[in-house]
Amino acid sequence: MRKNKNLLGICVLAVVGIVLVAADHIDAPSTIGKTADIADFYAFEPTEGSNSTVFVVDLQSNVDPSLAYGSFDENVLTEINIDTDGDLIEDLVIQAIPRDGVMYFFGPVAPSATGVSGQVMTNSPLGAVSISSTTALVETTATGVSLFAGPRQDAFFFDFGQFNAVISGMAPEGFKVAGEATDTFDGVNTMSIVVELPNAMLGTPTGKNAFGFDVYKTWVTTNKK
Amino acid sequence: MKLNKIKYVALSIGAVLTMASCNTDDDGLDYMEPMLDFSGTYSQVDHIGRPGINTVLSYDMDGQPSVKDAQNVSIPSEMAGKFQAGFEARLEQYHDVYAGILGLDPNDVNYETNIAGLDAATLTGYLAADVLEVAPNNPTTYFAGLDLALTGRKLTDDVIDVSLILLFGGGTGDRFNGQPITINGEMKNLPRLVSDGVSLTATISSSFPYVGSPE
Repeated sequence: MRKNKNLLGICVLAVVGIVLVAADHIDAPSTIGKTADIADFYAFEPTEGSNSTVFVVDLQSNVDPSLAYGSFDENVLTEINIDTDGDLIEDLVIQAIPRDGVMYFFGPVAPSATGVSGQVMTNSPLGAVSISSTTALVETTATGVSLFAGPRQDAFFFDFGQFNAVISGMAPEGFKVAGEATDTFDGVNTMSIVVELPNAMLGTPTGKNAFGFDVYKTWVTTNKK
Repeated sequence: MKLNKIKYVALSIGAVLTMASCNTDDDGLDYMEPMLDFSGTYSQVDHIGRPGINTVLSYDMDGQPSVKDAQNVSIPSEMAGKFQAGFEARLEQYHDVYAGILGLDPNDVNYETNIAGLDAATLTGYLAADVLEVAPNNPTTYFAGLDLALTGRKLTDDVIDVSLILLFGGGTGDRFNGQPITINGEMKNLPRLVSDGVSLTATISSSFPYVGSPE
């Protein structure tokens, strides 16, 4: 019985530990290699004590040559969801959708409906920015919002090869030590959408994290018609 | 259906009018041309909150519906109920793998309450509700100790090492860190599971848009 549990654990992990790439790169069968595949998400204050928040959304990745990478899809609506009161339901959304070389942004605004379906909030335009190639084209709106969309380096770092060895039971020593480990994402590019906006546009959060800090609870979705 | 259509037309007209009204911006972009159509209902196909959660803690079994796909089309308020138990089982399986490698009884090698004081059920429930918290009035860090944690995610934050410490570090944070151990009279080393050994390699900037030019 005990031995069975042991074997089961190893076998299950071996089966599922085949092609996994974090953070969210290639995370699930139906999104792998698709233009709507979310690679990563960051949220931070640009400088310590700043009254603004930066959101970085990475879509697609060329970490594997077979993946979709290189252009934003006009059929994909990217949405940054912001829960301000801690109930895990979005109170505000910031939306981004490309048209003919330009990324259009909407919000932050209460969505037409919460949940897995919604519309572009066209009555709440935030601004627009030409989609960059290698040189960053940046737009700053009259309301103090900075916007960017285009290819960038993938800032994620992880020894993904060793991770797969670890979870499949092929690495008795576990992860490698610094100097021997390899960042799988070194040299990898992604399609970034970056928004920096004053916190006043998001309001004062009443939700808290596990350590008692007042926080916005945020997440990103990609959505298709 | 008809009603919906009317609503979309109205929305589109609203969009054009609103876009036109902000065309005084000096960005050189003409919102009027081409006529932009943003109409329609968009449905969720992918989701991310904290880095790596879907990849590391949800898993698919042959012949079963994909849990990973299900998570991507779920909403955070329902995620803990749907996925916590599976995440906890997965976390235990990771420990079983190394019990097997070390020649120990997998029933004796289990998750240990971590440095944040979270037991397995609490930790996996927290992670299953997959959102990235960001504090507008505190310095951003994914984890800088118990006095400041989960206030956002900077480009430089080593989110994998933090995750590994919370999952495998136990009460000290370095429970599985390559230490020597004697098992059944034999000297072995514990696996190194609390750091993947890499740090940031990409170019980043202190000014907008912060992420470096493509390579």
